[in-house]
Amino acid sequence: MRDILGHSLNFQYELLLPEIIIAITATLVVGADAFRNELRLGRRILPWLSVIGLVAALVVSLLWIDTQRNFARLITIDNYTTFFRVLFTATAIVVIVGSHEYVERHIGHIGEFYALILLSTVGAIYMAAARDLLTAYVAIEVLSFSLYVAVSLARNDPRSGEAALKYTLLGGVASAMLLYGLSLLYGVAGSTQYTEISGALAAGTGGMTLPLILGLVLIVAGLGFKASAVPFHMYTPDAYEGAPLPITAYISATSKAAVLALFLRWFSGPLLPALPDWQWMVALIAVLTMGLGNLVALQQRNIKRLLAYSSIGQVGYMLMAITTVSVVSASALLLHIGGYLVTNLAVFMAVIAFYNRTGTEEISGFRGLAQTNPYLALVITAGMFSLGGMPLLAGFLTKFILFTAAADGGFLWLATFAVIMSTVSLYYYLQVIKQMYLYQPDGDARRWRLSPTGYLTTAVLLAGTVVLGVYATPLYTLADRATRVLFV
Amino acid sequence: MGMEQVWLLPAIPAGIFVVIALFSRILPRGGDWLAILGLITVTVLGVLVLIDFQGSFTGGHFDAHGNNVFAFDWIRVADDFFAIEFSTFVDAIAVTMIVVVSIVALMVMVYSVGYMHGEARYGWYFALLSFFTAAMLTLVVSGNMILLYLAWEGVGLASYLLIGFYWERRTAAEAAKKAFITTRIGDVGLLIGIILLWRATGSFDIQTIIEAARAGAIGETYLTVSMILLFAGAAGKSAQFPLHVWLPDAMEGPTPVSALIHAATMVVAGVYLVARFSPVYAEVLIARDVVLYIGLLTALMAATMGLVESDIKRVLAYSTVSQLGFMFVALGVGSVTAAMFHLFTHAFFKSLLFLGSGSVIHATEQQTVEQLGGLRRKLPLTATTFTIGSLALAGVPIFAGFFSKDEILLETLKGAPLAAYVALAFTAALTALYTTRLVVLTFFGEPRNRHAHEHAHEAPTSMAGPLVLLAALATVAGFVALDGVGKALGFAGGFGELVFLEEGHHFKLDPAVAFGATAASLVAIALGWAYWSGAAERAARARRWAPELHALLVNRYYLDNLYQAAIDRVVLGLARVVAWFDKRIINETGVDGGAQTIGYFGLRLKFLQTGRIPNYALAMAVGLAAIALLAFGTQ
Repeated sequence: MRDILGHSLNFQYELLLPEIIIAITATLVVGADAFRNELRLGRRILPWLSVIGLVAALVVSLLWIDTQRNFARLITIDNYTTFFRVLFTATAIVVIVGSHEYVERHIGHIGEFYALILLSTVGAIYMAAARDLLTAYVAIEVLSFSLYVAVSLARNDPRSGEAALKYTLLGGVASAMLLYGLSLLYGVAGSTQYTEISGALAAGTGGMTLPLILGLVLIVAGLGFKASAVPFHMYTPDAYEGAPLPITAYISATSKAAVLALFLRWFSGPLLPALPDWQWMVALIAVLTMGLGNLVALQQRNIKRLLAYSSIGQVGYMLMAITTVSVVSASALLLHIGGYLVTNLAVFMAVIAFYNRTGTEEISGFRGLAQTNPYLALVITAGMFSLGGMPLLAGFLTKFILFTAAADGGFLWLATFAVIMSTVSLYYYLQVIKQMYLYQPDGDARRWRLSPTGYLTTAVLLAGTVVLGVYATPLYTLADRATRVLFV
Repeated sequence: MGMEQVWLLPAIPAGIFVVIALFSRILPRGGDWLAILGLITVTVLGVLVLIDFQGSFTGGHFDAHGNNVFAFDWIRVADDFFAIEFSTFVDAIAVTMIVVVSIVALMVMVYSVGYMHGEARYGWYFALLSFFTAAMLTLVVSGNMILLYLAWEGVGLASYLLIGFYWERRTAAEAAKKAFITTRIGDVGLLIGIILLWRATGSFDIQTIIEAARAGAIGETYLTVSMILLFAGAAGKSAQFPLHVWLPDAMEGPTPVSALIHAATMVVAGVYLVARFSPVYAEVLIARDVVLYIGLLTALMAATMGLVESDIKRVLAYSTVSQLGFMFVALGVGSVTAAMFHLFTHAFFKSLLFLGSGSVIHATEQQTVEQLGGLRRKLPLTATTFTIGSLALAGVPIFAGFFSKDEILLETLKGAPLAAYVALAFTAALTALYTTRLVVLTFFGEPRNRHAHEHAHEAPTSMAGPLVLLAALATVAGFVALDGVGKALGFAGGFGELVFLEEGHHFKLDPAVAFGATAASLVAIALGWAYWSGAAERAARARRWAPELHALLVNRYYLDNLYQAAIDRVVLGLARVVAWFDKRIINETGVDGGAQTIGYFGLRLKFLQTGRIPNYALAMAVGLAAIALLAFGTQ
């Protein structure tokens, strides 16, 4: 089949099989939830159904390792896509397994909860896989809309609705910016296809410099919002705080990573020829993001807000890799994203387990956790130290390579600033660790245990944090293979 | 199992360490059987590696550089952008070390079952021994400076933990600290040396560095400094002057630990390191002379101190320091063969002596020679094996030490000034003298402490077995140097071939040197016997004859006092200044001030977060406008 311009189009639907599986699973989950009473299904069926679908999708996506094909010139199936397919489905599995107890207690619409996670995973994957601006935009919105709703799902928490409203309204503003930027880019390049945009920009834009720059500004702003880069981050702490904890974990993991994946795909591909026009912009928001995220985190009293600002700071480091876009920094970024997901999820899963027991989100509530649950305190400590970049944990090695790549790419000042901010970040991570180890527990000092799934998820993620910190070469090799398809 | 799988050797005890450390309370007998089983496996596998290595003997010598390196990338970013590879390297030196380490470690572990019976932390003890073995084996098979350094610090940590095993005892805790800090001083030199060599060659791979150095790719002064710094690390680990002070104190650890770590294995890590880099030392003769004269000075000094020491284990410690000096002398004249050979034989007879002294201590709970005496009737087995070890140490013919010490003397005569040879030969005679003193005072004469003597009892089987085996080795280990024996044992080209890097070196006795050394030893033994076997009163006459000299020796040349004074005056004085600077400038102004400033920014910025949607949207709009203005402004 050919399109209107005569390009032959490839409609091999099996290339989309993983996402089709996930989407069908989502439908089944909603259906099963709706007819649960008629079908006499237990509540537990929903998370396990979701996990089965995700595992199937993960396995199927491995079929296309080392292939490079596209679907109708809209979606690319290459190693980069496969990397993020695996990463995002795995993240969704971890979040679902680690949070089913929380969901039963605190979520009003269980079916929707799982379905939205599944659908947003599809959106996240296509953000990494798109090879056309409009497809990418639709993918962004699939992810965003799912999350707008998911944020509002916390039953009995008035902050949830408020957070969802803020997120939706401001997200709409950001989408408008992004869409406007994309249309300017289309006007300059004459196409929405990445390859053709790249060609057009490389050939020179003639008198179109101003529209191009305005377009780039709008794109950076729009994507900056989605990645919660400063000054487009304002919604983040409120949304994180109001959202149900598993959704907060999910946003901080998949949503962040998906935006960075898209960022990298665009800025190492179609937008690479315009490097001089956008490089300083990204550097600027990277500096602001690192600085503000880490500084304000110092003042937080609520663990969710602390992690929100911490994740803003982390995005600053990742944007640094976009600034110095190169083969090295691209694979360093993917490695860092992988390490960050593992570490961050370890912390969040531990916090969820903690919340299930105590029902508090205050940092002071962690007092004496080392006595009441030393294992959980260990997981949080390892995760916090890893986020702060302590050696022998994932955060150190991935950050080290990321910063080295930035310094090597000519942005020594940016890397220096990142190191300083990394040091600052240790202060607030240590605040939490201090509460756990140096203080006596308030009130009930009995030992308690996690649920089996709580042990499972935290143990796997803890092991991942340690292993990546000691021996990251396997993941790096995968990241390297994934980014070989960029820059062409 | 061959050279490719040599990583298994350290991996097995490492795994066992983890298991015992975690589960020693659940495991029957604290898991000692697991540690011993692991070591038996390692010994067997080590022999297989040796056999496989023998297979690479072609065309008259070993394939020392070819395909023996098996690497995996620990981290590799964008090809060579940033890469650290861990590799194992097996050559003759490594094979010798593997054999020594695994056999002695096995003997010591079996012995410990009896010696440490009923101790608190029994399982933890075996976990630590496994950890040490893992680190030591990593050290000797490492083909890469980073891995070598990690293992180097690993054995240091194991040594620290084992010296301080009885940490409830203040002296043990102090000794552990002293050992750790003193060796760390040398380690700083090693680390700087590694960095310098990396800077010059861009590589951490040992063979690459050696080849670059030999090809003249590194400036001579630069290389000299680097090699002296490496030797500083070696001198710390191998207790050479001026960093030898920790080893006698390290005797606070359990005696089997002294046998394993502070006699046979860890302390020879420095010898191993210099031997490993011997082709480079051959390029920079100044650095090699440093090795030679430090070794010589240490050998002589330690031997004289051993002469007046009264603690049985500390005499052996001085003897170890002195014998390590012998090995460095051999390296200093460029004879890796002699050094490795002495390392090989010394490991057996010195661990035998330590285990024997452990048996004495176990039986009498005394360890000063003034309290012992006449034990040969009570502890016949210990006395016999200890005497065999002593004969080996004294260099009496047919015992192992004779062959290797003779080799070192011969090489020194050939490769160093005559004065050095004379000094070393004199030291060898002194060795025989203090060894005789130790044996005579411990096992012969009349018991000086009746009570201890009466309660003495011979060691249990688990302790006796290793003593007998090691005594056998201390007797025959020297024979391997003889070509015929070496070849009969399956060493292609004999043992001399095995430990020499470049070309075959065939052992042969030089009659003059051998005869001279033997005569000196026998005279010293006779003198010692005549002097110490009689009444204690006669022995004390030496003190009156030269009280200053005696005081000098007893006080260990006042070096410990000197160091303590230096620490008290200079280091602590400097520390006070630094502490003031740290407290006022760094902490109160810098850190607290910085933290307050940063916290203040955080506090101010926090209030940007109003919670109101219009404000958020305004921030986005302002941000967008600002970036756009900047963009157009720069156009």
